[in-house]
Amino acid sequence: MYSFLFFLLLEIFGLMFLILSFSVILIYLILMVLSALEMRDFLRKNSFADYGDIITSPITPGVSILAPAYNEGQNIVQNAQSLLSLHYGKFEVILINDGSKDDTLEKLISSFELEKTNYAYHPEIETKAVRGIYRSKNMSFRRLTVIDKENGGKADALNTGINIASLEILACIDVDCILSSDSISRMVRPFMEETNRKVIAVGGVVGIANNCDVKDGTVTTYNVPETVLGKFQVIEYFRAFLMGRMAWSRVNGLMLISGAFGFFRKDLVRAVGGYFPKTVGEDMELVVRMRRYMYEQKIPHKVSFVPDPLCWTEVPEDQKVLSRQRNRWMRGTIETLQLHQALGLNPKYGIVGMISYPFWSVFEKFAPIIEASGIIYTITLLAIGDFSAIYFFALLVMMYLLSLLVSSFSVLYEQIAFNHYKEKKDLRKLIWMILTEPFVIHPKVVYWGILGHIDFIKGKGGWGAMIRTGFKKAEDKRNLAEQSTT
Amino acid sequence: MSKRLHWIIFGLFSLIPGLSQAQEDPVPRDSTGFYEFLKSQREVPGLSYRYIFSEKGITLAYRSDSLFSLSKTDSGYVSKPFADFSWIDELQQQLVVDSLMYQIQLELYSQPKSIEVAQEYLSDLIGKGDYLVKVQEDLPDVDLVSLAAKMPYLPVQKFKLKFMSDYRLLAVTLIIVFFFIASAAMIISMLVMKANKIKREALQDEYEGIIIEPLTTLLFEKGVKDIMAMDEAEIHSFFPKNLLVKELYQHVLIDRIIGLNKKMKGEFKEKLKALYKKLELDKVSIKSLHHRKWDRVTMGLVQINEMDLIEALPEVKKFTNSSNFHIRSRAVSALLNLSEHVDFKALRDQTYPLSLWQQMNYLRIIRFVGLHKDLNFETLLDSKNQSIRVFAIKLVRILGRVDMIDRLISYEETASDEEKIEILETYATVGAHMESRFINVCLRSSNPSVAAAAAKAAAVIGDADSEEILLDLLQSETDFRRKRSFLRSLYKLNKEKFEMVTSGDSSSDLLEIRNHILDPMLQDV
Repeated sequence: MYSFLFFLLLEIFGLMFLILSFSVILIYLILMVLSALEMRDFLRKNSFADYGDIITSPITPGVSILAPAYNEGQNIVQNAQSLLSLHYGKFEVILINDGSKDDTLEKLISSFELEKTNYAYHPEIETKAVRGIYRSKNMSFRRLTVIDKENGGKADALNTGINIASLEILACIDVDCILSSDSISRMVRPFMEETNRKVIAVGGVVGIANNCDVKDGTVTTYNVPETVLGKFQVIEYFRAFLMGRMAWSRVNGLMLISGAFGFFRKDLVRAVGGYFPKTVGEDMELVVRMRRYMYEQKIPHKVSFVPDPLCWTEVPEDQKVLSRQRNRWMRGTIETLQLHQALGLNPKYGIVGMISYPFWSVFEKFAPIIEASGIIYTITLLAIGDFSAIYFFALLVMMYLLSLLVSSFSVLYEQIAFNHYKEKKDLRKLIWMILTEPFVIHPKVVYWGILGHIDFIKGKGGWGAMIRTGFKKAEDKRNLAEQSTT
Repeated sequence: MSKRLHWIIFGLFSLIPGLSQAQEDPVPRDSTGFYEFLKSQREVPGLSYRYIFSEKGITLAYRSDSLFSLSKTDSGYVSKPFADFSWIDELQQQLVVDSLMYQIQLELYSQPKSIEVAQEYLSDLIGKGDYLVKVQEDLPDVDLVSLAAKMPYLPVQKFKLKFMSDYRLLAVTLIIVFFFIASAAMIISMLVMKANKIKREALQDEYEGIIIEPLTTLLFEKGVKDIMAMDEAEIHSFFPKNLLVKELYQHVLIDRIIGLNKKMKGEFKEKLKALYKKLELDKVSIKSLHHRKWDRVTMGLVQINEMDLIEALPEVKKFTNSSNFHIRSRAVSALLNLSEHVDFKALRDQTYPLSLWQQMNYLRIIRFVGLHKDLNFETLLDSKNQSIRVFAIKLVRILGRVDMIDRLISYEETASDEEKIEILETYATVGAHMESRFINVCLRSSNPSVAAAAAKAAAVIGDADSEEILLDLLQSETDFRRKRSFLRSLYKLNKEKFEMVTSGDSSSDLLEIRNHILDPMLQDV
């Protein structure tokens, strides 16, 4: 009886892995085609876009740039100056000092001639206490506002910024990001092109600045990072931004906008209660909650994506730091999916509920678990002598080729659309990375993903009970302040 | 719920081993049937049998017989153990011929056991799956060799069947084939695209190099009339006929002429337009309007607009309500720019919501054409499309058209909330002091956005009634943001009243707001 069940389970697993392998291939091929079509259309549309008027036109919406800073004393002045020099007509820069233990605030005060104001701060979204709001008497810095608050994490800092933002669009960025001077104009365009469907958020590409030459706040020369982990992330970012997000944008299924560079409609962010500070994946969670809200209100909407290279950041090249980042991303994904389980396979939530959510659940959340199960399955087959070498190697070779295809295509897209890595030696390095990544880095990524699952089960970081129960409605987050205090 | 319950019940039943074992037992319970069953199985692990004889009738020959290998016991003789049950019949036959009395003793692992114990043992083995019951094979009545001779010879039959029967291998093979075909198709198409792009760019560079010289010569050495008077042969001496028919050459020429047209002024512009027509590039632009690709149509509309091809306007009009955002945007732009009396009708009748991007572009054109043409955009207020009406109100404000305030006044009653907000902002911007009545009505609006916009306008053009309404609203308002907005307006309208309200009040909210408003660094916040 038990041996029968064992063999039945093996058969089921075998069939499951077969179906999953087929699904992975099919989905990635579809994603490749969709992203190619989207890229083609984007380049065509871009050829007609004239950004000349956007800076001076009275029609353009205003943008509040929100940049939380924690112990950024070393570069904060330079970063703030870079933000203040962006080319756009109507914008303000709100820097939020999230309880830094270094001299971040002091440097800002002295460099920008800041003075504490009598700002009447009454938060619409609950946040940690604000110690002071600073502005400058010097007209050159009239766009700058600095908030000094108690430490509460990135989401809490952004919520503080949202509470005092006065313009229509919120640009939530990492303060250490390098922004191109025309980044606001380009990111605002999808909001301005809105007709039948409300554009609720716009995501942008985050490029890798490691080893690149930067001049006047813009990357001038692109070089591939020296380390293996750096190179791997270049390929990974191409895959994520130029392939994944372009494809999801094509079918209006985007569920994630990078926390380092995302634009949101302020009234809607406030309507859903801002960022959820109890999750480590606050960027994804906000987008999902906003989309959920729009579906629940039955308002046609869209999350757009701009593939132009407008923002750059330094990625971690240290294995320890990278593993912590991946662990956090995985927990963020799990928490967001848990919080919004109501979306899963629910036709009420359109393409997000029927396609994006299941995709994220199977191919992002459970991907490390599935891969680890595959290894255990193979070992079991070897142990009981039911191992088919042909079958195993056929699948292995196929998945390896798929990985090569997807990575090569994302590099090819970059070459066709932007052609940043012009040096042949850089391309050679990237190709070598593509060939070795499945064996050298991928197993580590799977391992970090599994650790993320374990940490989530242990309740690390997240807000256990609430996340397990999930939101019943998109606006539920508004009531959480009360729940958290009781 | 009930569906899930069914599954749970099904799962429980399938997992209870007892229930699964309650299937039909293949081991016969009667002794005859049991021996027949054992014979059919030949051997059963652990199970054997011996023959037991009484002393009587056992001859010396039997005693030395190697087949039975008899051993002496207290009561008679016992044979060696036999494991093969199929021998029973043969051995029994010999014993019957010799008229010997015997008994069969079953043994389990060399221990004598009863038939019931042996039956139980065998049932248990089969139940656990440790022993597979041999089934009697039905041999064909005919000779297999002669049957095989009649079958045609198929060399891959065996492999084919094996391959087809392994569904997993078959599926993987199909997936691999699909994967290779799909990826090969994608790679080939990408390579073809890349190759075409490289080829196109090289040709483009070549054509640009060829075009510059004749274009410069014509612009600097010929006048507009000279260009218009040129015959075909002369034109072809500058721009070879064989190249002029090529699509890419035409596009490079168009791009270059339009590029120069944007940068140059005065007579040069006229020369370029004359040349554009002389080279029949206007026909290329108009022809683009019938292209099936939206980007080519849009490009045609851009070219028509840039090169002032007024004759194409009837064609352009057809695209003003196109479902494609870019096409209708460019068509309306061309119409606003080129029509003799700035034609707002097409824009008025547009059914699609007007985006901010379109508004920004139309505003630029309207500002430009407004320098030398009359702008009668009043008609936009009659549009059935709210976004167009909102744009019309914005135009009044941005262009400072005080002459249209009366039209807005007559429109106030029917305006939607969104339009009211725009009207209020417009009144405040142009300083329409006579419209404080409308502001005061809007201050009491149930829509907080309208009330906030009215408060903002009241700060600039409000009257004594506005002050009273603001004071009244401050008493009942609970929202902090709106309270701040009302107080700020009151401060701008009447500082004394503001002082009166805030200085004597102990409410922390009002004090906070007062300090905020009076802070010089927060004037615009």
